[in-house]
Amino acid sequence: MTDTSIAAPAAPTIDDDADWQRLHPATLALAIVKLGPRSLQFLPAVAALGFTGNRVYIVPAILAFLLISLLAAWFQWLRFRFRVGDDEIVIESGVLSRQHRTIPFDRIQDVGIEQGLVSRALGIAKVGFETGAGGKENDASLDAIGLDAAQALRTTIRAHRSGEAATAVPAVDAPDAPPAATDRLLFSMTPRQLLLAGLFNFSLAALAVVGAAMQFFDGLLPFDFNIFNPRDWIDIAEDYGLDQWLLAHRWIAGVGAAISLLFIGFASGIATMMFANWNFRLTREPRALRRTRGLTTRTDVAVAVGRVQAAILVTDWFRQRFGWHELRLQSLASDGEKERDHQIVPFAQLGAIDPVLAEIAIARPDAAAPWQQSHRIIALGGLVGALGATTGGLVAVSFGQALGWFGAVLGVLIGAASLFGARFHRWTDLGEQVAIRRGFWKPKLTLLPHASVQSVDLKTDFILRPLGLATLVFGVPGGSSLASHEIPAIPVATAQDLRARILAARARA
Amino acid sequence: MTDTPAVHPTDPFDPEALNAAEGLDPVDPAYAQVLRVATALNLVPLAIGASVFDYLLIRHIEGPYGLITALAWLIAIIVIISFPSRRVSRWGYKIGAGQLRVARGWLFRTDTIVPFVRVQHIDVGQGPIERWFGLSHLIVHTSGTHNSTVTLPGLPADVAAAMRETIRRHIQTDFA
Repeated sequence: MTDTSIAAPAAPTIDDDADWQRLHPATLALAIVKLGPRSLQFLPAVAALGFTGNRVYIVPAILAFLLISLLAAWFQWLRFRFRVGDDEIVIESGVLSRQHRTIPFDRIQDVGIEQGLVSRALGIAKVGFETGAGGKENDASLDAIGLDAAQALRTTIRAHRSGEAATAVPAVDAPDAPPAATDRLLFSMTPRQLLLAGLFNFSLAALAVVGAAMQFFDGLLPFDFNIFNPRDWIDIAEDYGLDQWLLAHRWIAGVGAAISLLFIGFASGIATMMFANWNFRLTREPRALRRTRGLTTRTDVAVAVGRVQAAILVTDWFRQRFGWHELRLQSLASDGEKERDHQIVPFAQLGAIDPVLAEIAIARPDAAAPWQQSHRIIALGGLVGALGATTGGLVAVSFGQALGWFGAVLGVLIGAASLFGARFHRWTDLGEQVAIRRGFWKPKLTLLPHASVQSVDLKTDFILRPLGLATLVFGVPGGSSLASHEIPAIPVATAQDLRARILAARARA
Repeated sequence: MTDTPAVHPTDPFDPEALNAAEGLDPVDPAYAQVLRVATALNLVPLAIGASVFDYLLIRHIEGPYGLITALAWLIAIIVIISFPSRRVSRWGYKIGAGQLRVARGWLFRTDTIVPFVRVQHIDVGQGPIERWFGLSHLIVHTSGTHNSTVTLPGLPADVAAAMRETIRRHIQTDFA
């Protein structure tokens, strides 16, 4: 893209203006949009001005705030520049304290492209460089440059990493056109599939939101009608003389309530699925799996194949009956800020997931695999909890509190669920990898290559030891420390044998 | 599910047998002194606090003055004298063929193995109390999220340094 053969070895100075680039000017428009949430911080000051009787100053104060914010954004834009060299990218930023950062292409593991709603309208995108440095703040990003430039930049970096830096790189490639012959589509989701996935995504969590909205809007709306309040609807019915009819046919109201509940559940499920996974595409590139998705916020993430540590197949009781699964990959890099693993296939049959697994050299255990069960003792924790709930409930009942029956019933349910669920803890060793399966309600199958394991804990305690059992816990890079990979309550000798076999594996390249 | 016979038929309450049965080396007995001083530094202020509470409050409400004080000091002294040596005897380690093994605890026993090739970097640390007794602790960092640091306390300073060198050599040969 740029030719910096002369300046590359020397330390970059302010003088060589030629190759430096600025962010896209539309970034300033983005800064104005971002001003919206930020102005909330300003509200207390406005309120203080109002309360102290200095109302005259409110408008000038707001204007000054806007002006200063815009000037600050403009200065930041002016002082931010970057240069793409032959094998490195240099970023200079900062208004008062200058920051100079050089990132060699070799150290860039993933290049992510993200577009919010406003960014898409403006044709710009945020480019994030994942370098594997700890912490989010250590990763550099260009926020934002033109979409064409972003894709060209990524192609440059990828070409360099593939060892073909010498060859010319096409400056522009259209978002949806296949960029090169080596990239092939592994998985995509049509709107039809998304609709189906959304139906399975049925969730009543949205009800809570509606309920909260009902509370919130009740006192807020200027007119005396709250669309979230069923009583207001009954009042309307009264006006038309429908109330008598409704009272006579109460079951109609019940059916109506059930239908609206179902509708809300399905609609929210479909909406979240559509927004997150619209036009989902997973492509295989020379060194990475690349995922693009999103309706309003479009993200473009590459997961380097060599850095995949484990594969996790998630489903739930209902989906499993129809053969639907979700595939997540645990990688050294994290997916965004919230999620610690990458959702690679959101909703597919196993037949569609297997080719993806084959790309990362992880195999799914077939039906003949010798599954071994964990000991039933793992239900003990749930049983203790159940006992506590039942006891608490019964004590409450004995004091004449009828609600206590709720605790007792809940305790019995918890106990039964943990006893039943304990039968679904299984594991098998496939030679190169361990498969761990757990859960009945939400079955989860973890495929962990031996070579990903960094350390192994063999844990026993005063309950497991008399039974001759032990729990194996694996230290695996990436993922969250809360959800560690473990095989609970297996015989000590088996655990020691498995540990020796796993630790004998070579380091994963 | 049949229960397998116990792997170490020795008395599980005998701390010496625990390490020997699993083929582990014990940490330096002087580490008990380190733990003792650290425990004392934690417990003595608590006992003093209990005494003050006793003096200021229980005496004024005509309660059984002296009971809490006596109990607090008794518990503190028992814990300071007896617990550290038990805890120390349940730490064990073994530098094996290409791997470090660290075991700790009895009620909840954890036996960790870290292959040397997985070690990212190594720390040898020494706190003021440890320095007093000529001990160090070894911290091994891996890239795993679970167990990203494995600590082995109670090593004579020269042993810790030697272990660091051993592990460091393995890291180097892996990349060479």
